[in-house]
Amino acid sequence: MSTDTEENTGRDRELRQRPATRWETVQPWATLAARLALAGVVGYAGYTKVIVPALSVQSVQAYQLFGDDVSRFIGYTLPLFEIALALLLVLGLATRLTGIVGALLMGVFIAGIASAWARGLNIDCGCFGTGGPVAEGETAYGLDIARDLGFMALGLFVAVWPRSPFSVDRVLGLYPGRDQRR
Amino acid sequence: MSKASRKANRERLRQERIKEQKRAKRNKLLAVIGAAVAVVALVVGGGYLVMRLQEGSSSGFEGATAPQTLQQDGSVVMAADGARAPVVEVYADYQCPACRNFEQTNSDTLKQLAADGRAIVHLRPVSIFAAQPDPISSNSLRGGAAARAAADHGRFVEYNDVLFENQPAEGSEGFSVEDLTAWGEEVGITDPAFAERVAAEDAVVEKFVTDYYPELAAKAQADIPDRVQTMRLAELMEWGSDNGVDATFLDDTYVGELLDATAAVNAKYSEGDNAFAGTPSVYVNGVLMGNEAYTVNGLVQAVEDAEAGEPDTLPVAGDDSMAPAESPSSSPSKENPDE
Repeated sequence: MSTDTEENTGRDRELRQRPATRWETVQPWATLAARLALAGVVGYAGYTKVIVPALSVQSVQAYQLFGDDVSRFIGYTLPLFEIALALLLVLGLATRLTGIVGALLMGVFIAGIASAWARGLNIDCGCFGTGGPVAEGETAYGLDIARDLGFMALGLFVAVWPRSPFSVDRVLGLYPGRDQRR
Repeated sequence: MSKASRKANRERLRQERIKEQKRAKRNKLLAVIGAAVAVVALVVGGGYLVMRLQEGSSSGFEGATAPQTLQQDGSVVMAADGARAPVVEVYADYQCPACRNFEQTNSDTLKQLAADGRAIVHLRPVSIFAAQPDPISSNSLRGGAAARAAADHGRFVEYNDVLFENQPAEGSEGFSVEDLTAWGEEVGITDPAFAERVAAEDAVVEKFVTDYYPELAAKAQADIPDRVQTMRLAELMEWGSDNGVDATFLDDTYVGELLDATAAVNAKYSEGDNAFAGTPSVYVNGVLMGNEAYTVNGLVQAVEDAEAGEPDTLPVAGDDSMAPAESPSSSPSKENPDE
C-alpha cells in the first residue's frame, strides 16, 4: 500500500522539489491505459456472454469441470462479474484490488484452458460469446493462453502501480498524484 | 521542563500523528474496497435478476401438447389442429450441447406456442456429427434413429426431451440400446416393435461407424485427397457409391433417413444469411434466427413478428387422422420465403 504519511514527508518534499523522472510522468498514464484496455477486454467478454446466457452456460459445460447446476450458475454470473470488474476499472475504484482480481481471474481462465488442453478436449475457450466443442484441430489453446497472459500482465501492472489520473481513487486521495502529495 | 523531556514529548506527539494518519489511510482504503465490493454485488445480483426476467420463465408447460404428425422425411410437425401460424423449424443433433441448451431453454416455449396455435413447430433431427470420431458419431446417429422410432409410436416430442436430458458428455459413450429402450417405456411406448427397431438401428450405426465410414474416408483420402477436405458427408457417400463403397445397408433404415435429412437441410439452406451451418438451427418461416433463439422472449418475439406459413414436408400417408387440417400439398416450393 502507499505510504503517504508523515514519515515520508522528508522524502516527498525531496520528490516534489526535483523534477519528475520520465517514469514518474509516464507511469500514471500507462496505468490508465492498462486500466482501460483491461476494462475493454473484460467488459466486452462479459457483454458477449451476458446477452446469450444459454451459450455462456454451454461454454462452461464444455470444460467438463463442474456439474450442471454449478455450470449454470457460473455461466450466468461470470459475465456479470466481468462487467462489474470492467466498471470498476473504468471508474478507477479500488484500483489495486481490481488489478489483482483481474489478474487472478485471468489465472483461473488460463488454468481452465490448460486443463482442457491437457485432457485433450476439443473446445473453444468460450472467452468471448459462444464457446463449446469445436472440430478436432480447430482448437487454439496456446493462443488463448498467450492472450490471457497478456491480459494478466495488464492486471498486474495496474496492481503494482495503481496511481492513475481520472480515477475515483485519486478523487478520494487514495493513490494521489505526484503534485497532490502532502 | 527539561530539554530532554520536551523532545520526548514532541516525539510522542509525532508518533501519534503518524498513527492517526495511518488509521485514516486504512479506513479510507477499507471504505473504497467496501464500495468496490458493493458495486460488484449490485451488478452481479441485479444483473442476474434482470437476466432471469428477460429470459422469461423457461419452465412450466403442463398442458396437453399439440398433435404431432410424422412427416415423410422422418421429421415431426407439432401443431394445433388447423393452426394458421408461422413455421418454426428446429434442426438439432442429439449429441450437440448447444442443442441441449436450446432445448432446456425453449422446449416448453415451443410446446406452448404449438398448443396455443401460435406456431407450427417443425422438429427436424439431423446428424451433423456422423463423420466425427466414435462415440460422438455413434451417439448422434443412435439418438436420432431412436427418436425417429419413437415418432412411429406418436411419442416423438416426449422422447426428444428425454434424449436431450440424458445427452452423453462429448466423447463418452452414451445412448445405449438398453437406455434408449427404457426411455421409450418411460414416455409410454409399450409396443415391443420400438425396442426391436432401436436394436436394429444400433446394428446399422455400428456398421456405419466401424466399417463403412472408415473405409469410405480412407478410399477418398487415397483417391481424391484434394477434394475430400471440402466435401460434405452426403457428397462423399455419393462418391463412394460410384466408387465401390457400398451404402445400400442404409436403405430403409432410420440412420439412412437421418443422414438424408441432414443432406436435405444442407441443400435447402445452402447459402446466404440463412445458410445451415450447424445445430441447433432455428428457422422462422425460413429465416434463420440468431442467438435470440436461446431466450424465451427472443423466440416468442420472432414468432409473433412472423406471418403464417406452411411446412415444406408432407405427412406420411395413412396418417390422415393426425394431419393438420390445412392441406400442405401446395407448398413444396416454399423455401426461403422471406429473403
